[in-house]
Amino acid sequence: MKSGRIFYTILFIFVFTSLLIVVGVVTSLTVTSYPIFSRDGLSFIFKSTWNPVKEDYGILPALLGTLITSAIAISISTPLAISLAVFSIEIVPSKFRAFINNISDLMASLPSVIYGLWGLYVLAPILHQYVMMPLHHYLGFIPLFSTKPIPTNLFTAGVLLAIMIIPFASSVIREVYNAVPYYLKEAAYSLGMTKWEAIKTMLGYIKSAIFAGIFLALGRAMGETMAVAMVVGNTFTFPKSLFDMGYTISSLIANQFPNAEAYNYMIPALYGGALILFIVGLTINLAGLYWIKKVMIKS
Amino acid sequence: MNKRKVIEKIMLGVISSLAIISAIPIFAIIINIYSEGARHLTLNFLIDLPPPPVSGKSGGIGPALVGSLILTSLAVAIGGSIGFFTGLYLSEFSHTRLAHYTQIFLQIMVEFPTIIIGLFAYMVLVAPLKRFNALAGAFALSIVIIPYIALNVREAYRSIPYTLKEAAFSLGVSAPIAYLRILLSTARRGVLTALLIGMAKAAGETAPLLLTILGTTFTYFGGLDQPINAIPLLIYNFALSPYERWHQVAWGAAAVLLTITLMIFIISRLVVREVKV
Repeated sequence: MKSGRIFYTILFIFVFTSLLIVVGVVTSLTVTSYPIFSRDGLSFIFKSTWNPVKEDYGILPALLGTLITSAIAISISTPLAISLAVFSIEIVPSKFRAFINNISDLMASLPSVIYGLWGLYVLAPILHQYVMMPLHHYLGFIPLFSTKPIPTNLFTAGVLLAIMIIPFASSVIREVYNAVPYYLKEAAYSLGMTKWEAIKTMLGYIKSAIFAGIFLALGRAMGETMAVAMVVGNTFTFPKSLFDMGYTISSLIANQFPNAEAYNYMIPALYGGALILFIVGLTINLAGLYWIKKVMIKS
Repeated sequence: MNKRKVIEKIMLGVISSLAIISAIPIFAIIINIYSEGARHLTLNFLIDLPPPPVSGKSGGIGPALVGSLILTSLAVAIGGSIGFFTGLYLSEFSHTRLAHYTQIFLQIMVEFPTIIIGLFAYMVLVAPLKRFNALAGAFALSIVIIPYIALNVREAYRSIPYTLKEAAFSLGVSAPIAYLRILLSTARRGVLTALLIGMAKAAGETAPLLLTILGTTFTYFGGLDQPINAIPLLIYNFALSPYERWHQVAWGAAAVLLTITLMIFIISRLVVREVKV
């Protein structure tokens, strides 16, 4: 029985280590960012300056950059993710279903730096020439498209993020769609519905799970760092249009951290940004997880 | 009636084309990366030091490849053992309060932006040592992969039929033998998949490395307390550099990284397929 006791002790130690890490991460963010919050208070969040020489930091532009890029990503990826999920379940012949799902899983497991490299040298020039320039040329009077675009900007980052989060949203939707009781589908067809009408009914039934999947994907989009840092332009300006170069909080950290040690308050400022990103992301993820749980229990 | 048929045709067409559009990028990425990077894939490219930025000299990604191998193995060793035992606990003691909270914490951890984990590792291992170092990078990568491994190991142990678990314990063996020898041999494919997923994550993760190993070094391994390079970080640094020669190296390195990712992905699929038969 002695080896049993040792085993359980080891088990407990490892489980506690996992817990400790989460606590440690949150603590290190809070403690390290304390100086900037105690000096500037909440104005740190609502200022738009990044002036290391004067030790004056405010992260509003980066926060807006995070929100703008993830909003673009979500609006593009939602219809695509739903279509991909429905396509793999309802439309594609069952022989190819595993193939489609494998493709989707592969998309989810590609390193983000590969997306970044491809985004920088392939996607950005294409978007610039065929999407952004025409939009700016014909619809430039709308403030959203008013900046004369260069290839790397908030819009490019948003599109790249959309591509990256499709598989996540789509796999959540796929899972819930498959969990819908079969009699519901049978009932739909027995009423004489067409396939599209049946799909519509099914999607209506799992509406909140779709929201949940989108929320989880949104959390991903907000935290994504490398791919965004490569295509967002890395310029600290208050974003006025989608075609402005900008920053997101995570790309600000990636880009500014290497020279942060030279200044007194830059490290606290970057940790402060990370803390805010963490809180926003956590809220969104918990909401998503809560929704999914509710739906899974219902069905 | 006809109108409904027409609408059905149109909508199914729209869904299919949107689905196909969303799958185009992955094919484009694979094709672009191999068409730009495949010609660099020689043995020397894998071994040599990076070339100087402005000269026609040949060079490679040797130090970064060595660094990636070291960091990934360390991360799988550390993160793998913590993740494995955590997952085992979550599956076999799921009724406890500790398991309940650990589960929630792990769900949160999966969704952590990885750069935040880098900031944590910086405070724990870089700031005290006053130097970017390999150990901090391995530490950060371990944390990144713990939740993936734990949640997958949990699934692997959970999928063992209850009767089999009862049978194992009715043999009168101690808990470690029951869990780690008898039941592990049943769950081994699931556990292996979990480790492979963790390995793929660790090999491709970049953000936390930026804050822990810096990656500007051009030397091979110099000790765990020294800076080190890694393939993903080299791709990032070289792709954003102003030198055309280094962009070429970045594409070559991306082809290497993509090959590693694809290989791990295919192996893990084969493992899963066998377990289902």
